[in-house]
Amino acid sequence: MDIISQLQEQVNVIAALSFNTFGTLQRDAPPIRLSPNYPEPAASLSDETINIAEQPKLMSAALVQAAKQFDVLVAALPLSEGGEEAQLKRIAELEAENEAVGEELQKQLEAAEQELRQVQELFNQAADNCLNLKKPE
Amino acid sequence: MATSASYPPPPPYYRLYGDYLRDPKSAPEPPPPVQGTYPLFGATYTTEDVLPSLEDQGVRQLYPKGLIIGWSKERLVLTLLPLLLLRLSALLRKDYKKELRALNRELQLHLLELADVLVERPSQYARRVEDISLIFKNLHHLLNSLRPHQARATLIHILELQIQRRKQAIEDVKRRREEAQRLLKESLQILDGHSV
Repeated sequence: MDIISQLQEQVNVIAALSFNTFGTLQRDAPPIRLSPNYPEPAASLSDETINIAEQPKLMSAALVQAAKQFDVLVAALPLSEGGEEAQLKRIAELEAENEAVGEELQKQLEAAEQELRQVQELFNQAADNCLNLKKPE
Repeated sequence: MATSASYPPPPPYYRLYGDYLRDPKSAPEPPPPVQGTYPLFGATYTTEDVLPSLEDQGVRQLYPKGLIIGWSKERLVLTLLPLLLLRLSALLRKDYKKELRALNRELQLHLLELADVLVERPSQYARRVEDISLIFKNLHHLLNSLRPHQARATLIHILELQIQRRKQAIEDVKRRREEAQRLLKESLQILDGHSV
């Protein structure tokens, strides 16, 4: 995939990671005490709570990793000098050179085809002469 | 049993092309390519493919206008103030890489802010989420605006390859012609040698 598509893909990956992170944390968060008038909510200690403590670390690590990957990709962008005008100038130069080289190729091809025709003509004549010189049995 | 209507007949223009094989000029020319805007199934489309700027889409632009590729004069630290309007600083020639990296850092900061807001003042998430989506839109718009540059670079690459191939072909043809000339001279010598 070209570098710009990779960058776009990486942006989408970061977006997906971020909303997965927040969505998971919101869904799995245990209830919390809001006001002293209400009793403490029942805190269930089980495998799930252990997982819930680990998840933010893992997910935030993944998010930071994705962001670093984005930076690496940005560093790999091959942005050449000059900008639009320089590119257009280069394209015009290359087009002119292409034109010239194309004409030279055309000339060479025509000369080669002409020589081929001459050689074929000579072969025909030689073959005719051979046939004419052959004594009829 | 056909319950649906049959297909409509083909347009009757085929009669105009009856003599096409014998005389290609007797048939009408194909219509010229469409220019400008054209209607299609009730909607208007334009033939000019240009990336609409962020202001046209109603999205605030976070990076300076007038980004030139490849120029990096000063280092600018992007500080996002919430009331900052569109920055029209075309004098600041920043390259795309710095802007992309700056936007990335801002994105991370905003995600942290969102986490904090959710912990302390959960009802104020909307503003933060809006900011984050704004940053994403800016990121994608920046990347899309790199596409014309990529297209021109691809064109340059293709032209260079083509020139190289043509030069190679010229060399090959020259070599073969010389080879053929040489063989002809040799055969001439052999024939003369035999006939003498």
